[in-house]
Amino acid sequence: MTVDDSQDSPVAHMRLSVNGVHRDIEVPDDEALVTSLRKLGFTSVRAACGIGMCGTCTVQVDGMVASSCLLLTRQVSGCELVTSEGLVEDGALSEVQQAFLDHRAYQCSFCIPGMVLTVDACLRSHPSATVSDVREYLSGNLCRCGTYPSILEAVHALVAARTAGGDVR
Amino acid sequence: MTSINMTPQPTGAVGVDHPMQDAVDRVVGSIRFTIDHEVGGMAHARVIRSPFPHARLTGIDVKGALALPGVLAVLTGEDIVGDERIPNPCFGVARRDQWPLAVGKVRYAGDPVALVVADTERHADAAAIAVRVDYDELPYVVDAAEAAREGAPVIHEEWPRNECGSWALHHGDVEEGFAQADRIVESVYTSPSANPVPLEPHVAVAQWNDQLLQVWSSTQWPSIVRRELAHMFGLAEHLVEVRTYPLGGGFGAKGQVKIEPLVASAARIVGVPVRLELDRDEVFLTVAKHPATIRVKSGVKRDGTFVARDMELVYAAGAYAVTSPSGTGNALVRAPGPYRIPNIRITSQAYYTNTVPGGSFRGAFTNQVAFAYESHVDEIASELGMDPMMLRMKNLLRDGDTYATGEAMHDVHFEELVVNVAEGIGWDEAQPPMAPGRLRAKGLAVILKSTPTPSRSEARVEIGGDGHVTVYSSAVDMGQGASSTLAQLAAEFLGVRYADVRVVDPDTSTTPFDTMTAGSRTTFSSGSAIRQACAALIEAIGELGADQLGLSPAELAHDEGHVVAAMDGSHRRSYGEVIVAAGLSSLSREGVFQSESGGAFKDPLDVKGMASIHWHQGAAAVEIEVDIETGRVIVLRCHGASWAGRIVNPTRVRQQNEGNIIFGIGPALFEQLEMESGQVINPNMSDYMIPSILDVPEHMTSTALVSSEADAELHGVGEMTIPAVAPAIANAVFRATGVRIRDLPLTAERVLRGLRSVEGKDR
Amino acid sequence: MTRFVEPLTIEEACSALAADPWGAKALAGGTALVLMMRQGLVNPKTLVSLGALQHLRGIEAEDGFIRIGARTTLNEVAVSPIVSALSPSLAAACSLVGNIRIRNLATLGGNLAEADYASDPPSVLVGMDATCIVQGSSAQRIVPVGELITGFYSTSLAPDEIITAVLLPVAGDAHRRSSYKKYVSRSSEDRPCVGVAVMADFNAGVVAHLSVVVGAVAEVPQRFDELVTPAIGRPLDQQTVSEIAGAYAAAIDPMEDARGSAWYRRQVTEVFIRRALEEVASP
Repeated sequence: MTVDDSQDSPVAHMRLSVNGVHRDIEVPDDEALVTSLRKLGFTSVRAACGIGMCGTCTVQVDGMVASSCLLLTRQVSGCELVTSEGLVEDGALSEVQQAFLDHRAYQCSFCIPGMVLTVDACLRSHPSATVSDVREYLSGNLCRCGTYPSILEAVHALVAARTAGGDVR
Repeated sequence: MTSINMTPQPTGAVGVDHPMQDAVDRVVGSIRFTIDHEVGGMAHARVIRSPFPHARLTGIDVKGALALPGVLAVLTGEDIVGDERIPNPCFGVARRDQWPLAVGKVRYAGDPVALVVADTERHADAAAIAVRVDYDELPYVVDAAEAAREGAPVIHEEWPRNECGSWALHHGDVEEGFAQADRIVESVYTSPSANPVPLEPHVAVAQWNDQLLQVWSSTQWPSIVRRELAHMFGLAEHLVEVRTYPLGGGFGAKGQVKIEPLVASAARIVGVPVRLELDRDEVFLTVAKHPATIRVKSGVKRDGTFVARDMELVYAAGAYAVTSPSGTGNALVRAPGPYRIPNIRITSQAYYTNTVPGGSFRGAFTNQVAFAYESHVDEIASELGMDPMMLRMKNLLRDGDTYATGEAMHDVHFEELVVNVAEGIGWDEAQPPMAPGRLRAKGLAVILKSTPTPSRSEARVEIGGDGHVTVYSSAVDMGQGASSTLAQLAAEFLGVRYADVRVVDPDTSTTPFDTMTAGSRTTFSSGSAIRQACAALIEAIGELGADQLGLSPAELAHDEGHVVAAMDGSHRRSYGEVIVAAGLSSLSREGVFQSESGGAFKDPLDVKGMASIHWHQGAAAVEIEVDIETGRVIVLRCHGASWAGRIVNPTRVRQQNEGNIIFGIGPALFEQLEMESGQVINPNMSDYMIPSILDVPEHMTSTALVSSEADAELHGVGEMTIPAVAPAIANAVFRATGVRIRDLPLTAERVLRGLRSVEGKDR
Repeated sequence: MTRFVEPLTIEEACSALAADPWGAKALAGGTALVLMMRQGLVNPKTLVSLGALQHLRGIEAEDGFIRIGARTTLNEVAVSPIVSALSPSLAAACSLVGNIRIRNLATLGGNLAEADYASDPPSVLVGMDATCIVQGSSAQRIVPVGELITGFYSTSLAPDEIITAVLLPVAGDAHRRSSYKKYVSRSSEDRPCVGVAVMADFNAGVVAHLSVVVGAVAEVPQRFDELVTPAIGRPLDQQTVSEIAGAYAAAIDPMEDARGSAWYRRQVTEVFIRRALEEVASP
């Protein structure tokens, strides 16, 4: 969060693809992706630790979860970015979001969008993921309220539904 | 005469597992937090902090910083003290001993010294580096016992012995009690400093409109923030408006008053709205859990009966008082634990130290004493060769017993809680065969906590012409679902549907006073205020309705948000219709809950009387496994229980019980603030770790015990299992390994060292 | 002031670095560099992004080697069928770094260039005698990983050099067994207190080659080949295992940090070397 020269960094025009929509922005060269996304109004992406440990800044970059506090916006031109808002389709919650809702997987909820994106990414990229696999995947998403048990219940339901024949939408 | 319903039948809103009203917003992330709040034209601030634990400020050179692009101002303590618009710059709930920016000297490494205000965050950051501060280092003290000694560095001139809270309690005759004892056990237990680590950091925005101050802050105490700011600027309270969104976590970190005085002062002086968001390291430097050293001496009969207890509690207050003066009094009355001890003496002291100011931490002023007394009970059991559960059952308080404060306990369920948690982890189950190099054992602990006394909650409930209900309360939702819980209570008390009730976010210009959202008090206190308001509303509606229907109020009944003729159910009219027919747009009434001012605390050195209107009760049992080659402890199973009395929302109660357990595993096993040369060296979330999903016990369950009475008292459950976690684990480690660790956290290294000395091998 | 440039070739990247040896830094995944920038530990004037150098990404089995492009992410290494088959302990070590978000961005080359003492992959790579292909503006050289990492967050890389690939020699005819043990002393998400990488080649039941490397205890991965020579030519039995573990524990000079004191690190080093060796020794 420090620059020892007060001169502003160069600013570039960028076209970001967020949730399938192109957004044109002016981005300083050293701006973090979380900052750019929040400026664009995606307040589901948060910053809480500044060092990639907590997961509240999670975004999906080309389908993979990444810490947007450690990514410079300049690094993701041409990438498909997905935030929690983007999982909602035609006003309907995605399957993962619905499972979180149904199992009360939220308390203060500051960490929840990051958790949802991570579960979503795991299930999409691992067709036969078990609850244990998803739990490992979530190891880097921290929750101070201790909502983990409810989150795991949502995960159980998602994995069970998949085994029973559904796909993750 | 047929029986008449003068009051609404319960709709069953209480006890129904309704989701939070803003659940979808929470899952999707469209819920707004204070960190998302913006005001047009707002400037951004960055704090410059002292690197030294104790030093005189000999000069602050802001010229270089002021010359940088975008900088609007660089403020120092002198600017604030010298500004006539800020007549009372010092703030603090118990003692006004804290300045928004240090004046004359700094008292801890992290103490705010200057503030840059600039047009962008990045310009503020750049300018902050250019501020030059000169310090003359002073001797410093970080340990409370050291701070108490003659000749220790004086941290605040008015308190030359660094005294920051001193309380004592005696009951019976301690000397006589020890004389009667068959065995005496004495140990010292320590808890280090820690941090609540709410994920949303402290953040506030302040804006002045002429003489009106508007503040948005991520705070648990909006009414008190208003009071303190009004005092600071010499304003009538209605000229200060404090608004808060739901918090991204509080856990005590956002209690009392934190960055609001600084942000409001900056906005006043600079003349533009100012926003300050703390970085994570700054959150670590703003509030800390009180480190404590607790000496416990018990006298017991050979059959296990407790006959005497002598305790000394010593807390490090940190650089500023915050709540230490009163908090040490709370610790005092919680320190005996839920036991019948006829002869008891306790002293509780806090001392200023050159460290991060102590504040609240989930289970405040309870975790440290519970670790001490519940570890101690197991040490007694071991001395006597008794089962720890049996020893507890022999001495736990029952209804009617006299507590150490002299008050008679009522509605206590400690034995039930112990039995429940023991059963929950299979206390009596045979031990399965163990993998080589691993040891397993179980431990348990049971605790009590007083409610903050005195405290006050007010609420206003309003029914609109459309029948919708709005609840105005300054209780803060910080993940515990307070808003939704209060909505369920209002729905219940009015006999309307949960979906028709809305609870507004705290806004001191419209929501009435509430002391704090802390200490697990909200459901009970704010709930009581709402109940009163609803009762008054029902009465008012009844009168209006009776008048409109040409009946006497005695002939009117209430049914699911409608008035009807009691006789035959005719003339059914909704509350909204009654209100509109009366020519009103809405009807509202207020309610107040005031917990009795603690007469028990009138004489700090002789505390006695009713210290709490009711006592919170919790317990936890764990099964742990120790890797004897590394000392690492894993919690395999945990069952927590608390006394809820009556449950408003089952899922949320469960989430509190279990969330507390998970929260408690951190300080039990690995969380601690590390200091070197008076500085915190791990103020980040990599060097200071909080529990991840993989640290959750494989088997975790909980029970909320409830009364069989329909209208039982609601007990808060926000903090009831956490104080039991660390001692339960410590007790299990002892039973597994024979190693008794009296210092938190129970790190792998401590366990391994203990194992080695038990084996007699020390390399 | 920091500017961001994204060269399209390695040559351009090296020239950009050479143009400003003090102020220009190579940016791969960014998880280490951006982190250090946020903490105020580095302040580069120019970030030379390697993001466009796609040909530096990929894993191939060549004759006697696995070639891992330096820009291959840690997750890609962790899930690679080639690495899992031929160097399972490297796949394991990479799968344990940080969390999935870090592994999706962090690159193997970046991991080595960072030289974080508490990182998992370097110990395995040192134990495998892995080498790096290093490209500078005037020359290319091959550097053993053990010589690349020289100290606390320090490497022997010149300012204009970037790692382009990591080469892992694979077992010839020998029956190779390897193990990586990461011991965390605090929360399960902690950085390692001790990391142990063990690789043994067996021929007809006796040890033909053995490497033991300890990471996270000192500035650089600790490898003492002279301490494993007693095992060569013999079966890896319990006594040999204990001797090697004890000798290493005595030989290391461990640091103190929040994860453990020097004493503690010595104790657990012995434990995990023993456990890792027992694992490779068992059928």
